[in-house]
Amino acid sequence: MRIEDISKKSEILLKLKKEDFMPLPHPYEKGDLEPEIRDLTEEQLKKIEASLDGISGVGLKKPETKEEENELIRKFLSGLEKLLSPDDNWTFLMPFYHSLEYCVKCQLCSDYCPIYLSSGKKEIYRPTFRAEILRRITERYVKKKKRLTRLISVGDIELNWQTVARLAELAYRCTLCRRCAKVCPLGVDNGLITHEIRKLFSQEMGIAPRELHELGTIQQLKVGSSTGITSRALSNIIEFMEEDIEEKTGRKIKIPVDKEGAEILLLHNAGEFLSWPENTEAFAILFDIAGIDWTLSSELVGYDAVNYGVWYDDIQLARIATRHAEIAKKLKVKKISLGECGHAHKAMIVIADRILVGDLNIPRESAIPLLRELVLSGKLKLDPRRNNFPVTLHDPCNMVRLMGIVKPQREILRRICPDFREMEPHGVDNYCCGGGSGFAIMQSMNFPDWRNSISGRMKLKQILEVFSDVISPEVKKYVCAPCSNCKGQLRDLFNYFGVNKRCGIFYGGLAELIVNALADLKRPFIDWEWH
Amino acid sequence: MPKAILGGIEIEVDEDGFIQEPEKWNKEVAEDLAKIENAYPMTEEHWKVVNYLRDYYLKYEIAPPIRMLCKQTGFDLKKIYELFPSGPAKGACKIAGLPKPTGCV
Repeated sequence: MRIEDISKKSEILLKLKKEDFMPLPHPYEKGDLEPEIRDLTEEQLKKIEASLDGISGVGLKKPETKEEENELIRKFLSGLEKLLSPDDNWTFLMPFYHSLEYCVKCQLCSDYCPIYLSSGKKEIYRPTFRAEILRRITERYVKKKKRLTRLISVGDIELNWQTVARLAELAYRCTLCRRCAKVCPLGVDNGLITHEIRKLFSQEMGIAPRELHELGTIQQLKVGSSTGITSRALSNIIEFMEEDIEEKTGRKIKIPVDKEGAEILLLHNAGEFLSWPENTEAFAILFDIAGIDWTLSSELVGYDAVNYGVWYDDIQLARIATRHAEIAKKLKVKKISLGECGHAHKAMIVIADRILVGDLNIPRESAIPLLRELVLSGKLKLDPRRNNFPVTLHDPCNMVRLMGIVKPQREILRRICPDFREMEPHGVDNYCCGGGSGFAIMQSMNFPDWRNSISGRMKLKQILEVFSDVISPEVKKYVCAPCSNCKGQLRDLFNYFGVNKRCGIFYGGLAELIVNALADLKRPFIDWEWH
Repeated sequence: MPKAILGGIEIEVDEDGFIQEPEKWNKEVAEDLAKIENAYPMTEEHWKVVNYLRDYYLKYEIAPPIRMLCKQTGFDLKKIYELFPSGPAKGACKIAGLPKPTGCV
């Protein structure tokens, strides 16, 4: 496989076969417990581009006419020019430009990329593969360098429809975990290059996975949440949570909503309300016991921390971040605290720093250190024996590698889980769950098969290894993943491989484990059925 | 969007078979969807779940939290999977004519 093959007029560049993939530990060593990745149907193949690897994450429609095709190629090029212009790309131009210019192709990053390794080292998934395609297109079509001034040995890439269509999919074969950037001796960020390609497709060509754009950021700005939760549905769900808390713990708690002047506006990923309400309930219980002055918001967008823009579109990112800040300002809260959602941490705490200025620059922080404070303060009466099962910790890339929140969650677990064990590697060297950068919510066609078999494979291997001495399904084990996106991915991954049934491995958040350790609880808070 | 014949009528569906025209949903459509999702024949228990989802959706324009569904119907998650092998979202919600769940759920 050569880089220039990306322009080749062939049906498919890579046919995926499960026997090529990285082997998994017991009980998956034989490969017979793993499903084969499904092919797209003939009808889908007629309409949808899948010439990269037979997978469709983007749902890119084939152009119907030659004119339409040419128009898309033209737009791609104008988008690329904008990515390289300080007026159009002031947010990321500098690191993007440096990453294009300074890579010496030493390939050190390849052996750090879980997708490349899990696939059985398939060339097209190398972190440098897509970056090099973009680099060569830039040299030839944007900088318009003549053949002689470019490297003689470098093959030319034709900027044709095959290239554009394959690049669109290839931008969704990397979870933006940025492990490659961490290991690069020159600081080249191939994750950022992937991000910029996604941006080009979305902002200039209107091409993005439906789950991220139309049903994601667009729906969030219109309805209030990418889950479709309206303010009215939210009050119904909050009522349900209050009843559930009372039933499970005997505590009567009024969850504060739209409380003006509160110390903290807590932003949860709204997926928690629908799929893991025990997490949002746990926060309410802990904050109530500790006497924290906090509130939720019921305003449009204010009850959903997600900001999918951070994965593919700067404009959508800015719209949502601004909305979050405006809501906090209107409520006159002292600060915004982010619940267990990794990408929202990145969007609101790190990237939004470039957008929120003046009175919108409200203090924003992670809730994880606050949870640590509660656990270590002695305000909660905790009995670690309540968590008498093996627990491991998954590090969400955005909180941990990007932001350096490494110790607080570990100090909590060491205090409340007698059998806490670390996966290897962990902390800032962790492996992505495989659902990062929107993958966990991309549920269409055969993309979930690819995600479960390839992008989540390294995480599954780590989890099976850390529990190898207690792998029997009779011993219940808990993967603590303080991020909604990671939890969604672990749920799908575990279902795909039948991990709950075969190995007794479950997953859940961090706040639930703390509540489960409360000494005065009459019955366990963690209900294994739900994890 | 592709089209499918369900309950004898033509209905727009998405790539994963969720119906896109909720107003065309009826008992026969549900039964044809149940055949695709291995939940056929539909018993009283199936209908209890489907009707609850449908009513909640008409009221709040969204599917209820899964835990709420279990509490209200009195079925645990295991039972829901027994009734709808492809699960509460891909199975039960699809048969009830709800759109595919979106967001981090």
